[in-house]
Amino acid sequence: MTIITAPVTGNVWKIEVSVGDQVNEEDELIILESMKMEIPVEAEVAGKVVKLLCSEGDSVSEGDPLVELEA
Amino acid sequence: MFKWTEQIAELERRRAESLQLGGADRIAHKHSKGQKTIRERIDLLTTSFSEIGGLARFPEFDASGNKVGSLPSSYVCGLGEVDGRPVAVGGEDFTVGAGAPQLYLDRMKGGLGGFVEDLAHEYRIPLMLFCEGVGGDVGGIDIHGHAYLVSSISWGRSIQLLSEVPVIVGILGAAAGGTAGRAVLSHFTVASKGSVMFAGGPPLVRRALGRDITKEELGAAEMHTSVSGGIDNLAEDEEDAIEQMKRFLSYMPQNVWEMPPEGPREDPIDRRDEDLLTIIPENRRRPYKMRKIIEMVCDKGSVFEIGPNWGRALITCLARVDGIPVGVLANNPMHLAGALDGPAAEKQVRFIDICRTFHLPIVYFVDVPGFMVGPDAERGNVVRKGMRAIQALYEAEVPVISVHVRKCYGMAAQATAIMDRLGMRVAWPSAEWGDMPVEGGVEAAFRREIEAAEDPEAFRAEAERRLLEASSPWKTAEAFGIEDIIDPRETREVVARFLRPAFASLRSRLGEPTPWRMRP
Repeated sequence: MTIITAPVTGNVWKIEVSVGDQVNEEDELIILESMKMEIPVEAEVAGKVVKLLCSEGDSVSEGDPLVELEA
Repeated sequence: MFKWTEQIAELERRRAESLQLGGADRIAHKHSKGQKTIRERIDLLTTSFSEIGGLARFPEFDASGNKVGSLPSSYVCGLGEVDGRPVAVGGEDFTVGAGAPQLYLDRMKGGLGGFVEDLAHEYRIPLMLFCEGVGGDVGGIDIHGHAYLVSSISWGRSIQLLSEVPVIVGILGAAAGGTAGRAVLSHFTVASKGSVMFAGGPPLVRRALGRDITKEELGAAEMHTSVSGGIDNLAEDEEDAIEQMKRFLSYMPQNVWEMPPEGPREDPIDRRDEDLLTIIPENRRRPYKMRKIIEMVCDKGSVFEIGPNWGRALITCLARVDGIPVGVLANNPMHLAGALDGPAAEKQVRFIDICRTFHLPIVYFVDVPGFMVGPDAERGNVVRKGMRAIQALYEAEVPVISVHVRKCYGMAAQATAIMDRLGMRVAWPSAEWGDMPVEGGVEAAFRREIEAAEDPEAFRAEAERRLLEASSPWKTAEAFGIEDIIDPRETREVVARFLRPAFASLRSRLGEPTPWRMRP
């Protein structure tokens, strides 16, 4: 089980995966908006998306959990 | 008559005793926590070690103040060899009085000045320390019969060394009080996971603040390398920490009177990495991985990042280009869009001071939207800290080559290049600059006009389009407001060609930067 967390404080702008998706390492999972930039949040490991822990439009702080992956 | 056989046997017996440290039980306890003893650490770091002061002893007292016996002294030090270079090496022995300060000896061996630091100063060789200890100790009252006033002890030698030789510290275990102070008076600190550092430990926190807290919650290496910035790098384990200490040394000269060592020139300078052409996304709102640019431009395998997890809006690395050791700074668009906030500015000051002290040219990859704005940044004193970052570069007295990759706006631009000296700046065609980014700037500059316009949205869009067009780097190049625009794939060659004579010029600037001295 791997929890992908927000690398920076910002808003969840786009969620690019759904529960059940198989993702590779470095695949983009979520795009955060922070400081007028679109910050991609990537999978640190390959695996299956088990749970989405945020919704589009959410404000998140650095370190907040976003996606749960199962390797 | 003098009895040689007995005297030599006595010497052998005393030497053997000193190798036993605080005894088998305390050594086993240390090993059970996955830690090594000071002697094991020194063995890993050095290829040869000539110990000094091995015969010194630590008196043990009971709670009533009666001397009950003695152990080897709580510090191990001497002259070591690391990668073929002589270095002064020392560290507390935590199995003896928790690495107690050696106020029980006539002369300190190390830990706060002492023989090992005098050795580094006198021979002008790097100082490599393992800092593990609890600092002060009320037990000292028993030894002296009175409480000593701490200001009677001077940090003078340790401070002086900061402008003379590389001081490289491993924090393995716990460093508290004076030991923590010694650790940070250095050019590089690395701590193994699970190690801790603090001004005062949990018992002091409980008494002072009435708060129960574990030593990990208080001062974990993980926190200091990501939040406080009090420790530069985090290591997986003790072996990794020792490797990182050696790695840092490999970029450093023996002292400020000598040139930093050049590495092999195996990577051709005209290597053009095609990925440099596509790494900057066309969408200006999309960031990219600045670390990849650094890797592509510098010699393969030569990049060693310092402080990767704190002050993350700025990346600082030691690296080599065509074998020449350099300090690399780069704004990180993935964090705060690369805006210079308080921690990033502090990181820049510390890193540039090190480059200045040891005569490393600076290569700065620029993508900075400005000083960080907002209430948090202001409460963090961003203006003063940002200006210190500018002052550090102004005072650097080493060649600086700035490579403009994308944004460069506002005062933060002045933290990336200094025109009082050569001001060697090259830009990629993707570069853009100005007083402030056009989008926000239009709002600020034409607020009344926008409000008065028939169609405010159209007026704003038109103003933005016009200003964006005028902010093209080509027009600045026509005015020689940027020294040159280059193909991103040429970056390595341009930087290398200018670095060669820039580096050579440092030979005539060697020596201690007086009266200036870096602060840790």
